[in-house]
Amino acid sequence: MSIIKVKNLVKTYRLPEKIEGSFNAVDGVSFSIERGEIYGILGPNGAGKTTTLEMLEGLNDIDAGAAYIDGLSVMDEPYKVKKIIGVQLQANEYFDGLTLGELIILFGNLYQVKVIPDKLLERVNLLDKLHAKPADLSGGQNQRFSIACALVNDPKILFLDEPTTGLDPQAKRNLWNLVLELNRSEMTIVLTTHNMEEAETLCHRIGIMDKGKLIAEDTPQNLITQYASDPPVAPLHGNIEDVFLALTGHGLRD
Amino acid sequence: MFSKIQFHLAKVFLKIFLRDRQSIIFSLFFPFVFMGAFSFTGGEVDPFNIGLVNNSTSIVAKNFSELISSDSLFNVTKGNEKDLRSGLINGEQSAVIIIPKDFQLNSISGDLRLLLDKSQIRQLRSIKESLGQSLLSIERELRGVEPMFVLQTEDVKARSLRYVDFLLPGILAFMIMNLSIAGSGYNIVEYRRRGILKRLFVTPIQPKDFIISIVLARLLIVIMQISVTLSFAIFFIDVKILGSFLSLYIMIILGSSIFLCLGFCLGSIAKTQESVRAVGGLVTFPQLFLSGVFFPISSMPEIIQPIIHILPLTVVVKGMRGIANDGLSFADMNIVLIGIVAWLVISFVLATKLFVWKKVAN
Repeated sequence: MSIIKVKNLVKTYRLPEKIEGSFNAVDGVSFSIERGEIYGILGPNGAGKTTTLEMLEGLNDIDAGAAYIDGLSVMDEPYKVKKIIGVQLQANEYFDGLTLGELIILFGNLYQVKVIPDKLLERVNLLDKLHAKPADLSGGQNQRFSIACALVNDPKILFLDEPTTGLDPQAKRNLWNLVLELNRSEMTIVLTTHNMEEAETLCHRIGIMDKGKLIAEDTPQNLITQYASDPPVAPLHGNIEDVFLALTGHGLRD
Repeated sequence: MFSKIQFHLAKVFLKIFLRDRQSIIFSLFFPFVFMGAFSFTGGEVDPFNIGLVNNSTSIVAKNFSELISSDSLFNVTKGNEKDLRSGLINGEQSAVIIIPKDFQLNSISGDLRLLLDKSQIRQLRSIKESLGQSLLSIERELRGVEPMFVLQTEDVKARSLRYVDFLLPGILAFMIMNLSIAGSGYNIVEYRRRGILKRLFVTPIQPKDFIISIVLARLLIVIMQISVTLSFAIFFIDVKILGSFLSLYIMIILGSSIFLCLGFCLGSIAKTQESVRAVGGLVTFPQLFLSGVFFPISSMPEIIQPIIHILPLTVVVKGMRGIANDGLSFADMNIVLIGIVAWLVISFVLATKLFVWKKVAN
């Protein structure tokens, strides 16, 4: 059964340089995500990945279309939706002067649930940092901590926006293991990335977005056989990166 | 009345503030320095350093010289013209008086000469006036004439109000404004810039919980900071508060609420840290000078007085001063009370209209 259903999602922005003009950052995107799945939204910068996530999280208005999470309409019942999702944003800064333990308790209070900081930090392998402040953490530790904050309400769905961007290979692997471990307990995970390897090794299914549209959606393996067999010279060595480039073109994106 | 989450969040904001020692010290620095400085001088003008060159041996010249030296407005150095002239040039003296050799009461040629640095216009008038007075006294004495008029000053409210007593309520009102606007306005912009508001927004917290907890925490912070300043003023500078402390603290809470709401408006409109500081400065800086913090409002130009009287800081300063200096209660201050209520309503309505979670967070 689908836990997330998205139908013809549209986000329109007005073009700043033209008074009349507008463009759709998200342009009629539809997909559904099964319970317990790890779903990756893959795409170049500016493809509309983050905007799509933000509409599901209630951070951005849905201009057209509909989105349902666990049977709840995101537009009509945003507060009920917020209670069952966990969110990790791209920017993850916190109030100054508070320790990780105090921040975890704060987030628990925002959801009105009791949390034991030690247990949660142990889950993301940061127990020794209970009394440290976020400013003292490394990039990888910071990402793991923000996942810990997203777990305080024991969410049914976890949204991760580019969780491994800027991490070194060790930290990246470490975070992948954490995501896989969380998924083992039936948690549905939706993540955005432009890391091909991540999409390929982590995700059960991938949706590729470009210019606000979902241009392909399938399991990594199916996508590879479908798109990466071209060029035929090296079909066996094709990977998701070939798929990505075949679909979105080779031009530079800024 | 308040929910658990509001209390917890308020406690968190309070903890954040208490751990930020630098800003605690900075917010107390300004009022302490001002009050300290004015408590030493008693608000009176420092004496002018003037030089006196006496080229005459006459009785009149002697009398004049003695009278000038005993005037508390002057700090007299006697010497020769050459030394004192150079002292005037390098700023040691504000003026040099030269008594000519033939200084006699009835002689026309016996004019006093006054050497001045004309850039010191502020002091020029006082010096001239005082010299004129001294000359007049000598003249009367020598001719045996009694003065026709004597001016006696008396405070109508029969209290001994020093400048620092007048200043304290103004400084407190200014502190209320700054601490409140910084607490809501500047903090919100900072939290937004760092994505903290966005992170809060994806949790089920309601905007009103966030606003109420900031207001609660800030009110406590303002009360703490004001109490420290007030205790310093009462115990070390011996400032007298004539009205009741209860009224004073109610006034502090009301004033703080107005500026917290105005801060929320600023924080919602301004998008960057730079612009909120600029807009905040535009709101706070002119009020510091116009609203009667340092001088009575009646000393301001007539033409802008109607505007001055409706400024929020003016209203709070008047209320604070009424309680602290004149011992008034709220019942005695109808106009101030109307002003306070009007500003509370205006700022609250504006704040709730402008502070929209989704827009402010993004």
